[in-house]
Amino acid sequence: MAEISTIARPYASALFSLAKEKKCLAGWSKMLGLLSVVVSDPQAKAFISNSKILDSEREKVILELCKSNIDKNIENLIKLLIENKRLLVLPEIAKFYEELKDADEGVVEAHIIMAEKPTKKIVDDLIKSLEKRFNKKIEGKVEINKSILGGTKIIVGDTVIDASVRGQLDNLAYTLKA
Amino acid sequence: MQLSTSEISELIKNRIKDFSSSSEARTQGTVVSVTDGIVRIHGLSNVMSGEMIEFPGNTFGLALNLERDSVGAVVLGDYEHITEGDTCKCTGKILEVPVGPELLGRVVDALGMPIDGKGPIKTKLTDKIEKVAPGVIDRQSVSQPVQTGLKSVDSMVPIGRGQRELIIGDRQTGKTAVAVDAIINQKGQDMKCVYVAIGQKASTIMNVVKKLEENGAMEYTTVVSASASDSAALQFLAPYAGCTMGEFYRDRGEDALIVYDDLTKQAIAYRQISLLLRRPPGREAYPGDVFYIHSRLLERAARVNAEYVDKFTKGKVKGKTGSLTALPVIETAAGDVSAFVPTNVISITDGQIFLESDLFNAGIRPAINAGISVSRVGGAAQTKVIKKLGGGVRLALAQYRELAAFAQFASDLDEATRKQLDRGRMFTELMKQAQYAPLSVSNMAVTLLTANNGYFDDVPTEKVLAFESALHGFMSSKYKKVMDDIESSLELSEENEKKVVKAIEDFKATNTY
Repeated sequence: MAEISTIARPYASALFSLAKEKKCLAGWSKMLGLLSVVVSDPQAKAFISNSKILDSEREKVILELCKSNIDKNIENLIKLLIENKRLLVLPEIAKFYEELKDADEGVVEAHIIMAEKPTKKIVDDLIKSLEKRFNKKIEGKVEINKSILGGTKIIVGDTVIDASVRGQLDNLAYTLKA
Repeated sequence: MQLSTSEISELIKNRIKDFSSSSEARTQGTVVSVTDGIVRIHGLSNVMSGEMIEFPGNTFGLALNLERDSVGAVVLGDYEHITEGDTCKCTGKILEVPVGPELLGRVVDALGMPIDGKGPIKTKLTDKIEKVAPGVIDRQSVSQPVQTGLKSVDSMVPIGRGQRELIIGDRQTGKTAVAVDAIINQKGQDMKCVYVAIGQKASTIMNVVKKLEENGAMEYTTVVSASASDSAALQFLAPYAGCTMGEFYRDRGEDALIVYDDLTKQAIAYRQISLLLRRPPGREAYPGDVFYIHSRLLERAARVNAEYVDKFTKGKVKGKTGSLTALPVIETAAGDVSAFVPTNVISITDGQIFLESDLFNAGIRPAINAGISVSRVGGAAQTKVIKKLGGGVRLALAQYRELAAFAQFASDLDEATRKQLDRGRMFTELMKQAQYAPLSVSNMAVTLLTANNGYFDDVPTEKVLAFESALHGFMSSKYKKVMDDIESSLELSEENEKKVVKAIEDFKATNTY
């Protein structure tokens, strides 16, 4: 079985290059976001995977649902995905599309986890130093999580910078056990 | 080992004091699937091939497949606690095992952890398990012998230090026995040994260790065990781990002997891993690189020159060559040497010792087939005295087998043929040797000299071995000086030859066999 990401990647890159040509990167990003929310809904999922429903009906319902929010090209994408029976891959396509868009704009999303709500200055300083390290524009997303106890944990793509108290305690536990 | 409370808290204090609290940046991934010890991971974009991956619960894995969207890794050890969605981290390190003389006398697993219950091993060094073999410039040709103590091996298929000699045969033909005898005979020969057991029964491994202990061979031997119940990953890695432990001596100007028992099982373990990693199967369902797993392993067995040792030790060891001799074992099915793995390993090694079930069942042990067993480089390394005396043995045995087959049809034979048959029969009997009873060079020389000079001709075939052992006893008690002389010089001077011949005549006259 091919992995979902392997299936999603060509769709995303095709979409991305078309969006760049038509200069509507941001607009499509919003539409894809909406569509992935629609498709991820449990009821919608059941509807999409129900084999008793004809493709034409499926197409009609989905298009009807998002009619006012999508343009012609995205409509065609939905038709194509229904024809290829890949509608459920849409969230993954949207994710790849975002990645391509971010890479194109030189923006990386950073997940900043902290135990307490930080001041704006701390976040700004943090983002500044991250931008220096990764040599890219960083879009910070702060999340409050008490379980890390203190410090911060930053996730940028695959890289995790763990400067949290929890992480250090785990490390200490490992050192003592070894 | 008993620890007092203060020692424990002292230990903890030191560890806490030395504990660095800097933040760490590591690449992280998510486990997508776990199947029979193979884990697929999403993420880990910076992972290296062969890098160690840390899983939760102090478990480590080895990245083997680097694909576009995922990484295929094999878990080293238990994998039951790893589940889908677990996060795992890159460690930035290639797998390493402990090395050094501290490992001698110990039984360790494929990762170098002790499993003999004798407490922790305090090694100072670790080394990578996958290394590139020494290049052409660093090598020297094989010129020193490895004495196995087996008459049939040392006279017909001599092995040199740095050689790779394959031991091949069906199950229950005494392959392990030949290898273990070779290890036992290294006592006092300045040779360190590594015995790698792959996919064997734990009870068999235990027996081997017990025999090595009984014969005092564990003092200079390390046993690396990946038994049949260990995961395929460990069975696959054990030979490389053992090789790294052996290379420690080679690179420092010492001599080491490594036995891989057996590589068929390693290939089978690798096939399992490869199929689970969805690599395309080839002949006999082995993956395309099954040749390479053995060739890169056996290439590391080599004799390196003094410059290499000098360079490696940064001038600490000068003017000494190092060697790692490999005795890989391959098990065939119904004598089929043209199967995939046997042909591969035959083509890689510098010769092979063929063991046959028919010979084994006929009571000829070690069951070596003299006709097709060869040593491609060992001749240059053979001890002078054995080379001088043992030259005719192989020919006599090979001719005897051929002649014996024909002689079955003939009713009367001429005198010459009959004599040749008798001689062949005598040599066949003489090449028999009990297990765990290796012979010294001097004893072997006396036996061969007796045979060459025809003193066995009037001894009944069934009494040949009794005659031999009585002769050895006689020689060591009455002609100790001559024997010691042969042993130390490894040569047979004309003077000594005359003395030995006289001694044999004296012994024969006593009629005490």
